[in-house]
Formats: sequence, structure tokens, C-alpha cells
Amino acid sequence: MSNHSVPNPVVSTQKPQGWLARAIDSDVFYSFRQSKLVMLAAIVTVLFFLMALLAPWIALQNPFDVANLDLMNSLNPPAWHPDGSWRFPLGSDDQGRDVLSAIMYGSRISLAVGFASVIFAGVMGISLGLLAGYVGGMTDTVIMRIADVQLTFPAILIALLIDGTVAGLFPGLNRENSAFYVLVLSIGLSFWVQYARTVRSSVLVEKNKEYVQAARLIGLRPLTIMVRHVLPNVLGPVLVIATINLALAVITEATLSFLGVGIPPTQPSLGTLIRIGNNFLFSGEWWITMFPGIALALLVLAVNLLGDWLRDALNPKLR
Amino acid sequence: MSTPLLSVRDLVVEFPTRHGALTAVDRISFDIAAGEVLGVVGESGAGKSLTGAAIIGLLEPPGRIASGEVYLQGQRIDQLPASEMRSIRGKRIGMIFQDPLTSLNPLYRIGQQLVETIQTHSALRTAQARERAIELLSEVGIPAPETRIDAYPHQFSGGMRQRVVIALALAGEPSLVIADEPTTALDVSVQAQIIALLKRLCRDHGTAVMLITHDMGVIAEAADRVAVMYAGRIAEIGPVRDVVKAPKHPYTVGLMGSIPSIDSEHTRLVQIPGAMPRLTAIPQGCSFNPRCTDVFEKCRHQEPQPRTVGTADVACWLYDGATK
Amino acid sequence: MTDTQALVAVSELSRTFDVSKPWLNRIIERETKKYLRAVDDLSFVIRKGETFALVGESGSGKSTVAKIVVGLLPPTTGHILIEGVDLADVSRVAELRKIRRRIQMIFQDPFASLNPRWRVQKIVAEPIRAFGLEADDAATTRRVGELLSVVGLDPRDGFKFPHEFSGGQRQRICIARALASKPDFIVCDEPTSALDVSVQAQILNLMKDLQDEFGLTYLFISHDLSVVRHMANRIGVMYLGRVVEIAEAKMLFKAPKHPYTRMLLDAVPDLEMTGRAHQQIEGEVPNPISPPAGCTFHPRCPFANERCRTEIPAAIERADSLIACHGVEEGRLD
Repeated sequence: MSNHSVPNPVVSTQKPQGWLARAIDSDVFYSFRQSKLVMLAAIVTVLFFLMALLAPWIALQNPFDVANLDLMNSLNPPAWHPDGSWRFPLGSDDQGRDVLSAIMYGSRISLAVGFASVIFAGVMGISLGLLAGYVGGMTDTVIMRIADVQLTFPAILIALLIDGTVAGLFPGLNRENSAFYVLVLSIGLSFWVQYARTVRSSVLVEKNKEYVQAARLIGLRPLTIMVRHVLPNVLGPVLVIATINLALAVITEATLSFLGVGIPPTQPSLGTLIRIGNNFLFSGEWWITMFPGIALALLVLAVNLLGDWLRDALNPKLR
Repeated sequence: MSTPLLSVRDLVVEFPTRHGALTAVDRISFDIAAGEVLGVVGESGAGKSLTGAAIIGLLEPPGRIASGEVYLQGQRIDQLPASEMRSIRGKRIGMIFQDPLTSLNPLYRIGQQLVETIQTHSALRTAQARERAIELLSEVGIPAPETRIDAYPHQFSGGMRQRVVIALALAGEPSLVIADEPTTALDVSVQAQIIALLKRLCRDHGTAVMLITHDMGVIAEAADRVAVMYAGRIAEIGPVRDVVKAPKHPYTVGLMGSIPSIDSEHTRLVQIPGAMPRLTAIPQGCSFNPRCTDVFEKCRHQEPQPRTVGTADVACWLYDGATK
Repeated sequence: MTDTQALVAVSELSRTFDVSKPWLNRIIERETKKYLRAVDDLSFVIRKGETFALVGESGSGKSTVAKIVVGLLPPTTGHILIEGVDLADVSRVAELRKIRRRIQMIFQDPFASLNPRWRVQKIVAEPIRAFGLEADDAATTRRVGELLSVVGLDPRDGFKFPHEFSGGQRQRICIARALASKPDFIVCDEPTSALDVSVQAQILNLMKDLQDEFGLTYLFISHDLSVVRHMANRIGVMYLGRVVEIAEAKMLFKAPKHPYTRMLLDAVPDLEMTGRAHQQIEGEVPNPISPPAGCTFHPRCPFANERCRTEIPAAIERADSLIACHGVEEGRLD
């Protein structure tokens, strides 16, 4: 193999880097370090995740274990109020549940529903988008028209529809167990279209690139090419959509729970807590609805800020 | 010697990045006389497009002119405020970009775009401006200009569009036109037409041209003098005949040798090993030294300054009286 | 041209694209269906070990031909025979699979030819794995290292990503990938058009060396006559989907017959600074969707007569060449 056209081989002088080194050195991480607001948003988000994850260990009480509750502790105001005590830092509700602990446990449910629906919508949307974009033709038309129709229904309406349908089809079903799955299904079905459309347009661009043609040339099956070659290159925008969708999913779940068709009060999410507390708002016990509301707003704001930053950081045109 | 039309002295264009400032154009100096065609040739990354953009004040931020001067007809223009620069653009310096598809606004008829340009730079009323536009179109070789003037850009072919772009550039009667790769996006046969057109028009109007391209063939056909750029510096500048037939700088020699020619047989093409250095890794001393076949010790440490050798100016230690 | 040594035989190849507007638009705007005849009745033969070039400007259909020959696009009519086996013959699946391994392609855009998310090692190894050419991973890695050395890169470069390389280096990686399946026939679609001149020289030299070393046959597509002069043994000139002239390289440049070939040669810039005057070139390549009647070149041809305006010239095959021109047939041209 000697005596070739290039006398000195063309060697790139940089050492090859592993993925961690590249990530730290990247422009994305640099832009992260530059923005204090985004770092704050990231910290808040991580705190929420940790709080939700570790709730059983760090909460002052498990507010949903009836054995812990004592009606004598009901309707305590927050700790800084003259009538309050530090056993209930943010007050207690009419059942004697500590509002702070309720928020921690509630975040668990809210975030669980949020993540699950984002994953469901994501998997469904990416698969359908990939299929529509790569295969094209009738498949593409059918999938995209279904998507268009889907978009005319607001998420709440779909959720109500599915909830009603499930209740009608399975009359004996215990709402407590099925509520989570029904919610995830409803919210997921409302959001998959965004993923599908974005992925489809990226696929249309990548499909015509020469590396895909080179793969076809070797005789690989379309499915193999779709998954191994095209998919990794179209996932970029998906991360941004997923982040912003998480916030949206949490809000949607809260709305549905507030309307009474979401998580039932026995294992309440933040939305359910807000609903429960709403009844006491005008009789003066404002803390029962306020604090879960503030927690929800903070979480959604932080996640949205993260998503916005991610979108700008990953956009090569803005760099 | 009268004052040159355009005079560039020690121009430096930088891009500040978080790793430090990258120098894309490193102290280049050249003159363009009135009515002359100067070719600026170089491979991608040499900095030739940036030079053109810097002269006309269209550098995209964060790129900026870090130092150096640009004089147009004796007047310094690199530090002018944006409003004055705008009046120079079009009226005294015209610009032709590479892609005729994006140079013209697809939503406006070409007549509208021409009339707008003419009226910006002169006091003509609309009707007169329209007549002038038709004149221009016929000068650039658009058939039936009275009807075609109301057509949209997408109704023209690539070569025709580029002719319209040339008409636009000449509409303000500039004394200098900067043409950045005007033929790269065109077919070979159309390319020849456009080069011929450009030469003829500039001769007729007395316009000077700064012709930026990577194609040595275009330079050989169209230019009077040529500047060969490498890694942000001018390696060699001189009359086109001398630089093309008897290149002096080792890079120019390698470049000319690597161009396949119609007249040659199946001989091996000269190849310059390696590639042009990235902006982050420009070698010390002469930027060409890692790839040069005639390199010696001095080249690795000191940057050569341009010296007059015969009819050309060459920046190479081979031609330094002391070492040769 | 029934040459027994033909590796590739293209006969009466045509490819039409349906470029009509969608059904609803057509109904509303009352338009007919529109077809683009990208390739029209093309026939040529490539012999083993030679470089056959297809030259043409935009709209000539040469890239479409490349895709059809390689199997990425099916022809509308006509046949591609590789060593006598018709690519469209679905009954001979096993043979076709073997043939597929022996044909490869090098593309024009070095930036889009490599998957940006894969490391170079994986990219070059993919054909080896797909065709099962090596016993195990270790052998595959060794072979990839060999291939990278052959094209002038360092085997350690396999660990990097495509964006860490320059355009010329990426094209080398593409060549390494093309060589991975040990092909006999490589279709090169404008492989150096996106590269700088000095890098182009490296790549062209490399391709010639590889051809000598591995006995490769090339179909070389280009718009650049000087490059083609340097690389090709035989050259076919295309205009609007039809081949107008095929000749041996030296002959084509010394004595071009077809008016379009002459026009192309005349348009090549004068690098020798002979100061030769250029013949005035008329017009541009017309829209391929609605080509002129008769000989498609007639609006730009200085020798066009009435017959040229109405009758498509048939291809006349002589010794080793082909010409499709009424003027040449009638002996009207000098």
C-alpha cells in the first residue's frame, strides 16, 4: 500500500475527544454559562425534580396516608402567621394535611404525568413523522391529514372525550387507578402532531442527502436506513419541543384536574390541590390554593425558560 | 502616477470569538487604477470575499475591520458612518454577488428594482428612470427589454438574471464594481458570455472592477492584474499575463500546476500537499511554509513582506536579495 | 457497439419525471400534466478498466444517468446491463446482489455524503458489514484502517467525526467507503466540483492511482471539460437528455464534430493566455420541460437548417465514436 499520491498523509492534528469532553467544550454549554437567568431556571427545575423524587423521604408527613392525619390540625395558617406553627410551614388544609408536603407529593404526580405524556407523544410523533417523511406518497398524505384533523381539537376536549369514552366503556373501572393512564393518553394524543411535523420536514431534507443515497446503494432496507441513518439527524429540534411540551403537559394536566376530569383527590396532583383549595379561597384560607398555584407557576416558568434557551442555543443561525 | 481609484493599506479583518480574535485578512495592501480589472483569486478560506465585503462596508458582525485604511478616490471610506456609506454603495461602488437567484427580490418586477436603484442615486423622475432602465437592460443583452422589464426574476434564466444583476450594479454609474464570484453559479457557456459582457461594459463605461473568484480561468480571460491570496495574505500580485504564465510565489506555481488544462495530456497534476490552514491554526512566519517545496528556516519564523520582482510583487523569502 | 469487453452497457435509456402540479391545482387552473424528459434514448458502453466521462451543462441529464446506472433510480424505458445482467431483471436476485456489491458511487457534495452523526470508522465499515466481507469486528477495523491509509488518511482518523475534516479529506473518506466493498465499477458524480483547485488535483491524482492499483472502471460525470480531459479515455457529450457526441478523448478535443461540443470547447477559459478570440455563444440551455422541437440544439446552432428544426437527429455510429447531428451527416460542416 505504499507509493500513493499524497507524500505526507493528511493527518488532523487534534486528538479525538470523547463525548463528555466535547460536551463541556461546546458552544451550547458556553451559552448556558453565560446566562444567569437560564442557570437559575435550570436550578429551579432540578430542585423540583429532586423534591418530587425524594418526597417520601424529605416531606414532613405523607399527607395521603389517612393514618397520619388529625382533624385537630386542620386549617392552620402558614408558619409566619401568629396562629401558625413550623410543623406546617405553609399551613394545613381542612383535612389536616400539610400543604408543603402535599405540594411535594403533588409534584410527583404532575411531573410523572408530564414526562409520561411527553414520552408517549414523542415516540408516537417521531415514528409517524419518520414514516411519513421517508416513505412519502399515500402514507405521508394519510398521516398528515390525520394530524391536521387532530389539530382542530383542543387538548382539553380530547381529554374529556377520552375520559368520557373510557368511563362509558368500562363502567366498573376504578377511576383512581385508571386516571393516570387516561390522562397520559389524552395529553399524549394532543401533542404528537408537533413532533410528527417537525420530524417529517427534517426527514424530507435529510432523505435527499447523499449519505442516505450511499446507504441505499449498499442495499440496506428502508427501515434500517430510517432508524440508523436518518433518525439521529432529525432528533435535534425534538429536544426543544419536548422541553416546552413538558411544561405544557403539566399545565394541561393541572387544568384537567382542576376541571375534575384529571387526577382524583385521593392522590392529588398540583392541579387537584388547587381545585381543592379553591373552595376555601373566599372563606379566608388562602394558603391552601395559593401555594400549590405558585409552585405550579414556578415549575412551568422554569421549564419554559430552559426550553427557550435550548432552542436558541441549538439554532446554528443565531450563533 | 495619478491617484489610484481604490487604495487599500494594511487592511486587517478580525472575528472576535470566545477563544480570541481570529484574523481572516492579515494586512493586505493593493491599488486599483481607474478602469482596470483587478482579479483577486484564492481558494476557499483565503479571505477574498471578506476583503470585498470590508471595502464596501458589508462585513457581517461580529466580523470587523480591526485596522488599516481604505481610500476611494483619495477619500477615506472605512470609517464612514453608515448613512454616508449607504450613499457610496451603488453610486460610487457597485456590487455583484454570486447567486443571481438571491440577489434579486423575487417579489418585485425587475423594472421596479432597477428604477428604485436608479432613483436612489440620481434625480431622475420615474418615467425617465424607466427609460434609463430599459437602456441598461438592452446594454446588458436582455432581448426585448421594453417587455422584459416588467417580468419577475423567476421568469428569467440564470444567465439572464446575472445580466440583470450587472445592470443593477451599473445603474448608479459607479466608478468601481466589486464582483464576488459572478460566474460560479452559471454554466460554462453562460460563464463565457457573462465574462465577455463584464469586460465590454467596464471598458465602455470606464468602470474599474475588483473581480473576486476562485477560478483562474475567469481571471485569465477578464483581468488586467491579479492578486493571489492565501490564508488572508497576498502572496503575489502583478499583471495577469506574468502571474499566469510565469508565477513566482511557490503557492502560485503550485496552483497553476494543479489546474487541469484542455491542452495537456494525461500527465499527473501538480499537487500541493495538505490544505489551506484553518483560521485557528495559521502557521508562524510564512503561512504557506508547511506546504512549500522550497521552504527553508527563515520561512518558519518570519513573515515575508511583498517585494517587487520584475513586474510583480511577491511575498516570499526566495526573492529576498539577502538570502537568494 | 457490441463490445465483448463491455462491463457496462446502457441501451436506449430514458427517464421521464412527472412534474405536473397536484391534481387539485390542475383541475382549477385547467393545466395538463407536465413531464420532464430528463434522459432520452441514451446508449453507450463502458469497457473494463477505462474511464468513460459524461459531460454536459445543467439540464443535460447526466446526474440522472448516474443515478440510474447505479440503481438508485429506475429507468422509464431502456436497460442497464452489467456484464450482461440486466439490473431490472428481478428473477436473478442472487446475481443482482453480487453485482450490487461491485458498483459504488462517489458523490458531489463532500459535506452531505457522510452521516454527520457517525464516526468515520463506522461510515467506512458499513459496506463491509452490509456485504459480510470480513469475519469479525477486529478484521473489519483492520480493513477500515487499511482503506484510510490507501486514500492518504491516518487510520486513527477513524475515531473522528466528519465535521472535523476539510472538504478534500471528506472526499477521501467517501472514496475509502466506496472502495470498502471491493467494487469493479465506480460512478463518480462531479466528485471534485465542490473542491478547491489544489485539493481537486490531489483527489484526481488519487483516483487515477487507485484505478491503476485496483483495476477500477469509472463513469465520470462532470461539467468541467478540463477535468474530463485529464481523467477520461472516452467522452460522451450530453445536451438536454440526449447524447450528441461520443468520441475518444484525444479525438474529441482535437477534432470535435458536433456544434455543441465545439461551442463548449470554445467557452473554456484561455489559461495558456494565447489571447484567442472566442466565438460568440448564443443563448442558454432551454427549459427541459418544454424543449425545442427537432434537434434540441437548433436555436443556438449556427448551422441549423429546416431539417434540424423538425427532425430529431439519429445517432450515427462510426468506428469508435457516435455523432447525432444532421449537419455532420449531410457533410455540411467543415
